[in-house]
Amino acid sequence: MPHGACKVTQVNVASIANLTVKYGNFTALDRLTVDIPEGCIGLLGPNGAGKTTLLKTLLGFVEPASGSGTVLGQDVHTGGRYIRQRVGLMPEQDCHIPGMSAVSFVAYAGELAGMPAGQALRRAHEVLEYCGLGEARYRNVETYSTGMRQRIKLAQALVHGPKLLLLDEPTNGLDPAGRVSMLELIRSISHGKEVSVLVSSHLLPDIEKVCDQVVVLMGGHLKATGFIKDFKKIEGHPVDVELREPSAQFVNALAIAGARLIHSNSTTYRIQMPGTPDEVLVKVMGVAKGCNVQIRGFQVAERSLEDAFLEVLEPGKPPMPEVARG
Amino acid sequence: MASTPIADLSYRNYDGQLEAPTFRWWVVAKMSMRMAIKKRGFWVWSCISAYWYLILGAIYYFVDVLGQQSAGQVNFIFASTVWKDKFLDAFSISQMLLFIVALLIGVGTIANDNRANALLVYLSKPCTKADYLIGKWVAIFLLLLAVTAVPALLFYAYCFMSFRQYGFVTQDPAFFWKLLCILPIPAALHASLCLGISSLFKQGRLAGATYAAVYFLTLSFTKAMQVIIVINWVDEMPRQARRHAVNAASHAPELVQSLFYGSVDGIQIGLAKVILGTNGTPMFPGNGSPPIPHAPNGLVFGAIYLMVCALSILVAWTRVRAVEVVTS
Amino acid sequence: MIKLEGVSRWYGQVIGLNDVTCEIGPGLTALLGMNGAGKSTMMRIITGQIKPTTGNVQIFGMEPFANPEVYRHIGYCPEIDNFYEHKSGREFVTYLARLSGFSAAEARSRTDMVLEKVGMADRADRKIAGYSKGMRQRIKLAQAMIHEPDIILLDEPLNGLDPVGRRQFINLLAELADAGKTIVVSSHILYEVEQMTRSLLLLHRGRLLATGDLRVIRSLIDKHPHQVRIDTDEPRRAAELLAALPNVVSFRFTPGGEALELEVREPDSFYDALPDLVMNKGLKVHGFTSPDNNLESVFKYLVDA
Repeated sequence: MPHGACKVTQVNVASIANLTVKYGNFTALDRLTVDIPEGCIGLLGPNGAGKTTLLKTLLGFVEPASGSGTVLGQDVHTGGRYIRQRVGLMPEQDCHIPGMSAVSFVAYAGELAGMPAGQALRRAHEVLEYCGLGEARYRNVETYSTGMRQRIKLAQALVHGPKLLLLDEPTNGLDPAGRVSMLELIRSISHGKEVSVLVSSHLLPDIEKVCDQVVVLMGGHLKATGFIKDFKKIEGHPVDVELREPSAQFVNALAIAGARLIHSNSTTYRIQMPGTPDEVLVKVMGVAKGCNVQIRGFQVAERSLEDAFLEVLEPGKPPMPEVARG
Repeated sequence: MASTPIADLSYRNYDGQLEAPTFRWWVVAKMSMRMAIKKRGFWVWSCISAYWYLILGAIYYFVDVLGQQSAGQVNFIFASTVWKDKFLDAFSISQMLLFIVALLIGVGTIANDNRANALLVYLSKPCTKADYLIGKWVAIFLLLLAVTAVPALLFYAYCFMSFRQYGFVTQDPAFFWKLLCILPIPAALHASLCLGISSLFKQGRLAGATYAAVYFLTLSFTKAMQVIIVINWVDEMPRQARRHAVNAASHAPELVQSLFYGSVDGIQIGLAKVILGTNGTPMFPGNGSPPIPHAPNGLVFGAIYLMVCALSILVAWTRVRAVEVVTS
Repeated sequence: MIKLEGVSRWYGQVIGLNDVTCEIGPGLTALLGMNGAGKSTMMRIITGQIKPTTGNVQIFGMEPFANPEVYRHIGYCPEIDNFYEHKSGREFVTYLARLSGFSAAEARSRTDMVLEKVGMADRADRKIAGYSKGMRQRIKLAQAMIHEPDIILLDEPLNGLDPVGRRQFINLLAELADAGKTIVVSSHILYEVEQMTRSLLLLHRGRLLATGDLRVIRSLIDKHPHQVRIDTDEPRRAAELLAALPNVVSFRFTPGGEALELEVREPDSFYDALPDLVMNKGLKVHGFTSPDNNLESVFKYLVDA
């Protein structure tokens, strides 16, 4: 897995060295050493890997048993308050302050972070507008639907203009349209606005849509880190050929033409053939014409991030096909 | 920036002023107070809690006016008034109403926050658990202090201006300072108890019910003590003597007399009596009224008061949990 | 197996389902829709918790409402998260097995088997209060499967599971579907649903919007003709060559100049003509695909319309 090759010119928003965090007897993070670079980073890992603990430690409200860390230049042990003034957290669980309208809530969050009252209110409106809450912002937060609650959580994390944003399962409970708009929001914040975003999620396609790099944790340790496009590359550049109907004749003819079949799934065939994609396409089309089958799709094969992730966690297990059986 | 005709309304970062991330408690306190003041019940019950001052003020005003008409006579009612006992009476009478105000504004705070998981929001900002608790405590304290102090000080000003000739100031020169000392007592006790009880629950209503239970159970306990004292008095004195007794001291056992002050109300009233240095006078002075238990031991009750406050705050401190742990 | 005919259900003035007629047979079917579209109402009607206000619903020819005969054939894995927290997972599942009518011994053996299948065999003896979300989901599935029903309904079953857990769950459901059971899964996470099945039931504001195979539905959406994206270094030359085809409706050049996106009315004729361009006219193509032939796009087109 690609490790430090791209770190040379990167600035790190957070650095952790040998950090150990224990809750009683349970070790959540075990001598973890990781650097979080600028930009949009995905934080992945199975349940219990320590993702939420890492987020809480970065915020400075969990006391580590040993090790050190800095966030935005401040030490995690001593600079907790300073860090939290410049970092925004969107927690996974539902949280709000009871009895307040959305505007008051977000303005209050801003004041808690240290903004002067007038600025906090102005900024609250700005951020709520950006998050897509129109007239609803004057209503009590307790009357909101799930999608709106997620947006409020994002708004209260953004109101004080943090340089680092920590998002824990941001698309939890959202329906497809809500998911799309939340991901768009996150993507536009993280690209070009000098805000670094760390997204922790189980939904890997979501991470693929917004993040460029990932950090993978497992059992409190760092398992892998790198650019998403590096994770997705498959060695040897195989191609996926999709036909209109499955055809065994086609497979045989391909084998004769020098292709190696890696795996197949109903109408999609993954083959390995020498040559650039354009050349391979010409050959494959020739074979298809000979067998009288119609090619409906042709793509350089990429692993989905989910397959790459599962490969990292359990190396050696064969990947699952991406499309359902017909 | 204003050179393009169409403004860029995409996300803008905030690079403005940020105050130093300390003393966030005042922000918490301000917001809690703002939310409490919005409740109509708060205003209604606060005004009602001052009713005894209003009644006294009305009575004295009319007596004063009427008394002046019979020219020159020193008004005998005022002559026999122990002024600080009037304040003590008003203080005692307003206790239950103060309790209702505390119930309205104080006891639901942390419980509602627990239900809404608000602590996560507070702690992700530069606000520590101490800030949170201090802010909540100060909010309840300041509001209750205002509710207690404003009518008392207004009444004081009225008496100061009108009744100096009846010995208002000379009866006890240090009275003003003693008054200032007793005014924060209910506020501090209710603030601490509210925080402690509120932190134990996830629903404001349950916390309120528990607080009410504590209050009324201890109150009925002291009423029971009062009954014992009266029975004791009735037993001891023959009927004839009773009718002529004026401000008789009670001969009930010391313990019963002390336990009379063993309630949420009682502690406050007891401490007030100690600070003011008086045992209080019966409401309707004259012959035949049952004795009032004398003021309790100041040091003991002072210590109990402080312990109750500290214990409640400690409960709140431990129950408000910063981090929830789920082991896999 | 599940038949709904003209089923409507309203709550006061709020409409839950509006005149829904459909049939759900063996295999895995996805029940999709925005929040409030009527998915939970439909599940509740099928599991017999509420009656339709009009219309009728039949499970194996019987009405499900308050009908224990039908309950034997249905397993339900709801979205809500309420358990007897003080019990352990094993106790909970055994208890529900007993409720289904099994003897104590049989309940215990079935519990063991089903816990093994959902991957909770080693952790089932801890109290439910300490379980993570993923573990709770597995217990829910276990109790839905324990009486080996022919129909299993699952409401957001993959919520809270990490990718490893999700794969296991999906495999398990696929196994059950292959064995001939009727599985209905309701979920918002479209890419996961896509991995499980192509057969879907789409609800919108209480009405049935679409039912059947994903590909078939896609081809029937007239408003959005079939889209093709051709990755090539010469998008304009490709456009020139393709413009001659009568069924091409529109071209779009991507901003980076690395691809050509077009819409065609009759995909077959297009895909038959493309090899000629590549092989004979020498058009260099790295790849081509139909970018909106997936569940997310179909969902968007149908719901937005």
